[in-house]
Amino acid sequence: MKRTQIDNSKMDPSSIDRILAAEEELIPSSGFLGTVMESVCEEARMPAPIAFPWKRAIPGILLAAGVFGWGGFELTRQAIPAVRELALTQPHLSLAIERPLEQAGWVTLALASSLASWMLSRRLAGRSGLL
Amino acid sequence: MRETTSSAKEDLADVAQVLGGDANAFEGIVRRWQGPLVNMAWRYCRDRGRAEEMAQEAFLRAWRGLANWRRESSFSTWLFALAANVFRSELRRFPTVNLPLDEVPEPTGPSTQHESLSKKQNYEVVRRAVLALPLRYREPVVLFHFHEMDVSAAARTMGLPEGTLKARLSRARALLRRRFPHLNEESTDTEIAVLNTGKEA
Repeated sequence: MKRTQIDNSKMDPSSIDRILAAEEELIPSSGFLGTVMESVCEEARMPAPIAFPWKRAIPGILLAAGVFGWGGFELTRQAIPAVRELALTQPHLSLAIERPLEQAGWVTLALASSLASWMLSRRLAGRSGLL
Repeated sequence: MRETTSSAKEDLADVAQVLGGDANAFEGIVRRWQGPLVNMAWRYCRDRGRAEEMAQEAFLRAWRGLANWRRESSFSTWLFALAANVFRSELRRFPTVNLPLDEVPEPTGPSTQHESLSKKQNYEVVRRAVLALPLRYREPVVLFHFHEMDVSAAARTMGLPEGTLKARLSRARALLRRRFPHLNEESTDTEIAVLNTGKEA
């Protein structure tokens, strides 16, 4: 039923179709071509965008990922026994909380080294004029 | 329809020159396609100034993305599809101010003194009513009539299967007929021919 309706409308355009098809053509204004070409030439004159310096960035990214991975691993490794102690021995509760806090230094160190590697990679890119 | 073999060859030659670094060769493309693109944009917004702005943006996007044309389809198909995307997103950002379809005024009866003018105005009401349709029905109507009622060309421009486009067209027609029920009896080819004689005026 629906198909018939669609095909009929294609075969015999309705008044609405005839009205919409009888649209008059607009002629672009005389300055249109010039305006478009001006914009195009302006873009053509602009220097090509600088590609991201992947070659320089990859070692930094790998280092940062390694530091984060190692930090996460260490944190988990230290935290698991601490959690076990916390669960098993109520009297040692304060110690169990204390131990992971001692590891906070390592976490800070990991974060600091990743920050340093990020800054170093930025500085290297800056020196080469890429940033 | 708008594309002939010679224009397709010219497009290919100009694209090759542009990709070879000659930005001025793009002028040939703009010269050939400015009319169709401005008219297409006009049908989307019915505002001459805005239509030219949107067409200009479409040409700029074409310029930037010329290397992405894979020659699987004709240049015109690629250009129209790109332009439709540009117009669609422009109208999403800044929609045209339109009355809801139910509030579009009913065309008035023809006056005896200015019958032709009155019909022209009434037909413009119907054309503007298309802009009040929901976007999913509006765009097929706009592109179907822009492509001179060629379903496959409109479907290619929208990137839709022909069946989906036909179904949306059918629904759009039903919505418009519901709004303007008398049009089915009123308009004839002769009346439209009369209207078209005043195009150049």
